[in-house]
Amino acid sequence: MSIFRNIREHFTDVLYIFKQELLQVIKDEGVLMFLVVVPLGYPLLYSWIYNNETLHETPVVVVDQSHSALSRQFINDCDASPDVDVKYYAEDLDEARSLVSRQLVRGIYLIPTDFATRVSRGEQSVVSVYCDMSLMLAYKAVYQTAMVEAGRLGAGINIKKAGNYTKREDAISAQPLAVDDVAMFNPSGGYGSCVLPAVLMLILQQALALGIGMAAGTARERHRNGQLIPADDPHYRGAYRIVWGKALCYGMIGAVAAAYLSMAVPAMFSFPQMATGWTLLAMLIPYTVASIFFGMTVSCLVRYRENVMLLMVFVSVPLLFLTGVSWPQSSIPGAWQGVSWLFPSTFGVRAFIRVNSMGASVSQILPEIRILWIQAAVYLGMACLVYRHQFRLARKYAND
Amino acid sequence: MKYLSQILDIALRELGILWRNRIYGFCMIVFPLVLVVFFTTMLDEGTPQDLPIGVVDQDNSATSRGLIRNLDAMQSSRVVYRFANITEARNAMQEGKVYAYLYIPEGTSSKLMAGRQPKISYYYTMTCMTAGSMAMKDMKTIGSLGSAAVGQATLSAKGATPGQIKAALQPITVDAHMIANPQGSYNYSLTTVFVPGILMLFMALLSAYALGMEMKFDTGKEWLARADGNIVVAILGKYIVHALVFLLVIFLYQWYIFDVLHFPRLGGVWSIVRLSLLQVAGGLGFGIFAFGLMPSLRMSMSISSLWSVLSISMCGSAFPVAGMDAPLQAMAWLFPLRHYWMIYQATVLNGFPVIDVWFHLVALVAFTLLPWFVLRKVKNAMLNYVYIP
Repeated sequence: MSIFRNIREHFTDVLYIFKQELLQVIKDEGVLMFLVVVPLGYPLLYSWIYNNETLHETPVVVVDQSHSALSRQFINDCDASPDVDVKYYAEDLDEARSLVSRQLVRGIYLIPTDFATRVSRGEQSVVSVYCDMSLMLAYKAVYQTAMVEAGRLGAGINIKKAGNYTKREDAISAQPLAVDDVAMFNPSGGYGSCVLPAVLMLILQQALALGIGMAAGTARERHRNGQLIPADDPHYRGAYRIVWGKALCYGMIGAVAAAYLSMAVPAMFSFPQMATGWTLLAMLIPYTVASIFFGMTVSCLVRYRENVMLLMVFVSVPLLFLTGVSWPQSSIPGAWQGVSWLFPSTFGVRAFIRVNSMGASVSQILPEIRILWIQAAVYLGMACLVYRHQFRLARKYAND
Repeated sequence: MKYLSQILDIALRELGILWRNRIYGFCMIVFPLVLVVFFTTMLDEGTPQDLPIGVVDQDNSATSRGLIRNLDAMQSSRVVYRFANITEARNAMQEGKVYAYLYIPEGTSSKLMAGRQPKISYYYTMTCMTAGSMAMKDMKTIGSLGSAAVGQATLSAKGATPGQIKAALQPITVDAHMIANPQGSYNYSLTTVFVPGILMLFMALLSAYALGMEMKFDTGKEWLARADGNIVVAILGKYIVHALVFLLVIFLYQWYIFDVLHFPRLGGVWSIVRLSLLQVAGGLGFGIFAFGLMPSLRMSMSISSLWSVLSISMCGSAFPVAGMDAPLQAMAWLFPLRHYWMIYQATVLNGFPVIDVWFHLVALVAFTLLPWFVLRKVKNAMLNYVYIP
């Protein structure tokens, strides 16, 4: 047998396995759901949930015991701010509390009786703010609005007292050191623009792992002796061609899903998109490849098809945390940082956020790209190992 | 009595199933406990501390160094890099080395002395909102402290008392009361929704799984026979075991967070017990209903898992439901976790009376009763369907 014939046979087998795997994906509705419906539909749903980005007009109740021009000005200023809506007035704190209890408002502004008097006397005056802490975003809106408006009102009082001649003098006496506040890469501080890029990349890995795992589970249930690899099919005669054949099939699906998730979805919902094509390609190729071999390795651990769901679905939330998008990477304890190195999503998400939302170049995400390639290689090796093991098992059962 | 003994019989059978199939042990006990450890250790700091921050100090004066020292001393910030210019600083941010940087241009201190209002700038990334907003808060404080220092020096030179200086610098102050979470800790607000959320995911998944496995291995007929074909008795017997195991895990989790880690709560023990009962009943009810809608192992589990993962966003604990589009606000009612969280924050966290969130309580009871509509379908599936891989 010549070497060329050998190679030709190898390729025929790979392509045959590729075809078989693809047929199985299309025929099995469970697999189809995770490989096609989830990557298509889920990102749209998530984008819709976070589409409004920021919270405006958080309802608050005011207890105005001062009844002065100054307290009314403070209330008006707060009401006019974008983040707070003065929805109710209450007589006392108990009444205000019952409004919080009924979920009608998220905070209480209490203006004490001596509010204006103290200011007139040249003493420090206090506004009490009671925040419902169940919603962090609402708490920030209620508290920060009060801070900003109290500061502004105070500056106005100071300016009046200063007796300056020019507007420039007023500005300088109010703020001798000017400060410029620049939020970068997501200037409106939108929740969706922050979280969604991470969710998109995570969906890619999870959908591939779930789809591959379910397909493997189905294969086991179809084949004799509950084996992953059919012993009676002559084309399945080597572990490597099986790995390559399957990888080709999922690579094709993964490539389409990755392109859709990284380019189409953010464009549809106008989320930040600063990446150039080549940079995106440089990180998406290793990420998709690593995710596929990761999925193939996991799929061998699974006896029944349903178990992959029980295993992979619940880790989605911890995985999102390990990427450092909702909890800063510098605050993740070392042990969990170590665990996070096992998953391609950790580095895929980090690289994607930098490239997509921060406009980083390839050289700036080089460490992540390197790790992704290393993961791809390691998981490829592991996939080959576990498939060789499965292959031997199948042979053994077939011969028995 | 007959029903009771049948229920007991089926419950014992179920206990045997849970014991033999290791999947149950992992998903009901091991994974939830791992998650409790994961979230509580991950968020142990409460609020992010010592975030890496850079400075671009082109002024190089005693004033600018003082500002940087103050920034470094803030709880959330740690100055780890000194950059020569803005470009270097921005590159470091894009490489993920710093979350923010402070820019002090040349001539800041001389302009400050001359009263010509110099301007310093701070830049922070909002691609990680927790880090960005914490760093922003610290740098904002530094900026206003810088202004206040000037005012303080002038006033004390004029002979004002400390009280007068305080009133002059800040005529109106805000006295914040952060009810039930005085530290503003993310551990208190995130752990208490993610752990119950994933527990409800397991409840829904496993209750669909349990029914599906009866069908897959064709043991459903035997199960029904033990209840004399009475599907209500069969379901009660089967799920009473699930409910008890989940309740045990939930109480363990609550004991750990409230009694060991001392998470704040204003509600009493009864509010926790009531919520836990509703949570388990609603979660299991949802899973049984999902199976009844589509009596197939893979479809019912897929639906349950997709729905439950979605519920973690839809419960509105991170991005509030009130901020979502109107159709989504209506849809939020269809997620059991949403009701769980609303009752949790009102009665357990804030200690308000349950009557103020009675509609969420009713909704969870409704989820518990949902299987009623599909009982006949479940029975039919057990008796007549054949499992197709």
